[in-house]
Amino acid sequence: MRAATFQGKGDIDVRQMPDPAIVNPRDCIIEVTSTAICGSDLHLYDGVIPGVEKDDILGHEFMGRVVAVGKESTLEVGQRVVVPFTIFCGQCFHCSEQRYSNCDNSCPVEDQEVAEKAFGHPMAGMFGYSHLTGGFAGGQAEYVRIPYSDVVPLVVPEDIPDERLLFLSDILPTGWMAALNAEIAPGDTIAVWGCGPVGLFTILSAFQQKAGRVIAIDGVKGRLDMAEQLGAEPVNFHETDILDALKQMTGGIGPDAVIDAVGMEAHGIAIDNMADRVKQAVGIGQDRAHVLRQAIMACRKGGRVSVPGVYGGKADLFPLGAMMQKGLQLRTGQTHVRRYTAELLDLIERDVIDPSFLISHRLPLDEAATGYRNFRDQQDEWIKVVMHP
Amino acid sequence: MLYNQGHTPMPIANWARYGLAATLATAAGGVLIYRRKPGINHDAAPARSARHRRRFGDYRVTGATVTIRATPEQIRACWQGNAQLWPELEYLPFPEGNQPDLLLPPSELRDMASRPLLTRIVAEREDELVAWRSEGDGHADMHGRLRFRDNGAKGTAVEVIMAVRPHHFASAWKTEAMMAEALELGLLRDLRRLRMLIETGEIATARMRPDAA
Repeated sequence: MRAATFQGKGDIDVRQMPDPAIVNPRDCIIEVTSTAICGSDLHLYDGVIPGVEKDDILGHEFMGRVVAVGKESTLEVGQRVVVPFTIFCGQCFHCSEQRYSNCDNSCPVEDQEVAEKAFGHPMAGMFGYSHLTGGFAGGQAEYVRIPYSDVVPLVVPEDIPDERLLFLSDILPTGWMAALNAEIAPGDTIAVWGCGPVGLFTILSAFQQKAGRVIAIDGVKGRLDMAEQLGAEPVNFHETDILDALKQMTGGIGPDAVIDAVGMEAHGIAIDNMADRVKQAVGIGQDRAHVLRQAIMACRKGGRVSVPGVYGGKADLFPLGAMMQKGLQLRTGQTHVRRYTAELLDLIERDVIDPSFLISHRLPLDEAATGYRNFRDQQDEWIKVVMHP
Repeated sequence: MLYNQGHTPMPIANWARYGLAATLATAAGGVLIYRRKPGINHDAAPARSARHRRRFGDYRVTGATVTIRATPEQIRACWQGNAQLWPELEYLPFPEGNQPDLLLPPSELRDMASRPLLTRIVAEREDELVAWRSEGDGHADMHGRLRFRDNGAKGTAVEVIMAVRPHHFASAWKTEAMMAEALELGLLRDLRRLRMLIETGEIATARMRPDAA
């Protein structure tokens, strides 16, 4: 089969790889019909997430049709499924509480130790997202092996096109969970840093969850325009002092909740961010946490901080004093995708939301390298890339 | 000018040498004083968490703990009866088919001891523990036990502890510390494999094909 493979920092190549087959009884194999490049794939592409190896197949946003099933799978050949990026067993203590991205059993034991040393505990398995999360082959390929296929994939209706369903695999539930973690009360003012795909779905979700106002912060005009079309009030950090603006826009109080939808690769020329860039470049720091610092400083007293943006290492100059003195609550985590998919599928089926507005470019899989490069370098136009193997 | 009469200033390099020596001596003394501090009770640390002395007499003690969503009977039945588990084990001994009181050490354990080890069950308490010890003239003397503890709604806490004493230190082991580290890691992996098999019915793998490495 053909698959988009990691060949080194900034180097993606579509190559012939072995077809997957059933390995464990709960497995299934799907033929991928649509797959997308995620903003967090860029962390791998840029070499800031450790544990990615040459020839690893990337991609964790995908959907397709079942073509083979193991003897314990409850799926049937021909069924159409969306596959969450987090792999989970459905039976462990964490899965029993629907914290699927904390699953104890889905990451192979041989790959648990690095994450355990870095984070204190091993992570769940994920598709196409480094050997920190199991080294599972990803979905930017013609075929994918899906473990625990009796619980992981979401069977979807035949009459809804791929492009409206594909983002149930990651970014739509991620935006939804980010808004839930902000514990939005009706009428609240929410500030969202980052108007990439997750940020835009976070804005959409915040309004669905009854936010009164959403302030969208980014430095790319095209993305701010999309945020404005969703009803948010755009603020360009290249032109605006963000802390000052947020105080003025909220009558001096600050946003009720702040959401960092940027993560470990913050842009901009703030002094702390430049220092983070240097530390990241020489390998003595891993996260450029400028946005998180700013969000914590901006949040009102007693407010909530939600972090869907991906962090993978350590952050210096973390404003712990502001967290404590203002009595903030911080909630974060990889998305428990499957916990939210039924509710979100219902919203899509009822035409309450149509996530396909996000797609800016459609490419064949063979042009994956172009997709990655432009998605990173031309953020004004390349909002979301969907590929069809 | 009194202070300068008849004296040659000490060269800077000498100051640096003396300074470094004094710093090292102070640090070494500090470590010795800290480790001999009478207030430290090495037996007070829970389980195997003592900071300096993870030993019991001549034995190096190591182990691992996981919680499994199953009863002790189910866990023991899987350990003793699921042949799918045994080839995956690195250090946790598993039952020998025909003799109920004998355990077979996995290949890693055999390699570390250089000679085949017989491991015999020496104590059993239903739903609570199974204990074993090695026999024969292998290069190491090993004692181990698997203990089950109720962990409330989370399931059963399963702890394996192994105490190892090399017979001929220099001949058999790379170093004791390296051996203990490998053993601890391997036991944790083994317990996690056991948990996977009990909770999910399979052992997680990222292999794309059954025949893949």
